[in-house]
Amino acid sequence: MEQQATLDILYVAAFFLGGLGFAVGPFIIALLLAPRSTRNTKEKTKQLIECGMEPIGDAWIRFGIVYYLYALMFVAFAVDILFLFPVALVYNQTGQAGLNIGDLRAFVEILIFVGILSLIIIYAWKKGVFKWERKIYNQR
Amino acid sequence: MYVDPEIIRLLAFLVGVIAFAALNAAYLVWLERKEAAHIQRRIGPKEVGPFGLLQPLVDGIKLMTKQLIVPAGVDPVLFKIAPILVMVPAIMSFVTIPFSDTLVARNLDIGLLAIFAFASVNVLGLLLGAWGSRNKYAVISAARVVSQNVAYEIPMLVTVVTLVMISGTMNLSKIVGLQLGGFWNWNIFNLSASPLMPIAFLIFFVCMLAETNRAPFDMAEAESELVAGAFTEYSGMGFGVFFMGEYANIVIGASVATILFLGGWDCPFGLFPGVHWFLIKMYFLIFTVIWIRWTYPRTTFYGLLNLSWKILIPISFVNLILTSAMLKVF
Repeated sequence: MEQQATLDILYVAAFFLGGLGFAVGPFIIALLLAPRSTRNTKEKTKQLIECGMEPIGDAWIRFGIVYYLYALMFVAFAVDILFLFPVALVYNQTGQAGLNIGDLRAFVEILIFVGILSLIIIYAWKKGVFKWERKIYNQR
Repeated sequence: MYVDPEIIRLLAFLVGVIAFAALNAAYLVWLERKEAAHIQRRIGPKEVGPFGLLQPLVDGIKLMTKQLIVPAGVDPVLFKIAPILVMVPAIMSFVTIPFSDTLVARNLDIGLLAIFAFASVNVLGLLLGAWGSRNKYAVISAARVVSQNVAYEIPMLVTVVTLVMISGTMNLSKIVGLQLGGFWNWNIFNLSASPLMPIAFLIFFVCMLAETNRAPFDMAEAESELVAGAFTEYSGMGFGVFFMGEYANIVIGASVATILFLGGWDCPFGLFPGVHWFLIKMYFLIFTVIWIRWTYPRTTFYGLLNLSWKILIPISFVNLILTSAMLKVF
């Protein structure tokens, strides 16, 4: 058992290193084959792209992401789905045939859990998160 | 010198998987161009080799001989590691994908969870690359790609949880093992577990499109609005590695859909199961992905988010409840 787990880790680690090689390799080849100097006259090779113009202002500024509320909702869901994985894994493994009280309780527990989870969507829907509208106003 | 046969097996699978990923990246580009051309009543690449089959080779040489430009003012570290962060998890995911009952690098017991854990790093690569580019289009794309990917991860994971509930395991080979013996045993037609199973497959497929940033959900790239979105500042090999990573991710997505819903290496009629059936199903799904890209226009951004939050997530939760009820109560 111990040895199997070590092998699992060995395989994943080897694939990590292989993937790293496959991702870095093309860059090394390009470094060997590609030209170093640029034949440009106006010294604009390293300019950031803004459809041909000189860039106006910086890109690293604060700007309004109106859909950040979706991200807040995601945080709640992501954690809850993590809890659902172990539940799902053992859910169908009681081994008894027919309806019994343990099965019913397991189902009701999932029903309550998912029910509370669904309230997030209903709350956000009521609050108007899903509507396309401007949420930042000029302060007067 | 004695070498453990397990080491040789590992290296053989590693080389095989990397060759498979590289060949797929090369020839899926060719397939995409040919298919797009025929959908639009053009011919597509035809000059380089028969049917343009050597085109990917020429493309590769072109990408390799292009200058590696790091624009002035970008974050050099983030800018350089972003393509690698997209590529590495895609290769790592292949470690547990079973192509047939014997052809699997390592049969991890938490295979399904591992694949989704690796896949979630993909978003990070796109976000860091786009933010590190210091380009306005790329920064807008960074905000979009994160909200899109987190929105579509939920219905995908809920559908996966439903399947884990039916199968009782996260080992991909065992999940396929439960579906063997003809198409009526496949999870997509497993109506006794849940009558919504075909819809669950549809949800999974749509989420796969969104997770790999394919049209009609290609908000990260959106070339008509954002030039090239997250990839605007990347040229030559930086762009090339991003694209190889994207195609590798499509292969992973199609493989997982095949394993979870379409019975993996199982033959539809219960005869001659094998790796060829896996490849046929996987490439059919990839063909459909490309077909959708060249058929449907891009959605609006709120339309895309709301499709997930208002339609896909509620339906996938209903499916979860229905499945748990069918398994226990009835």
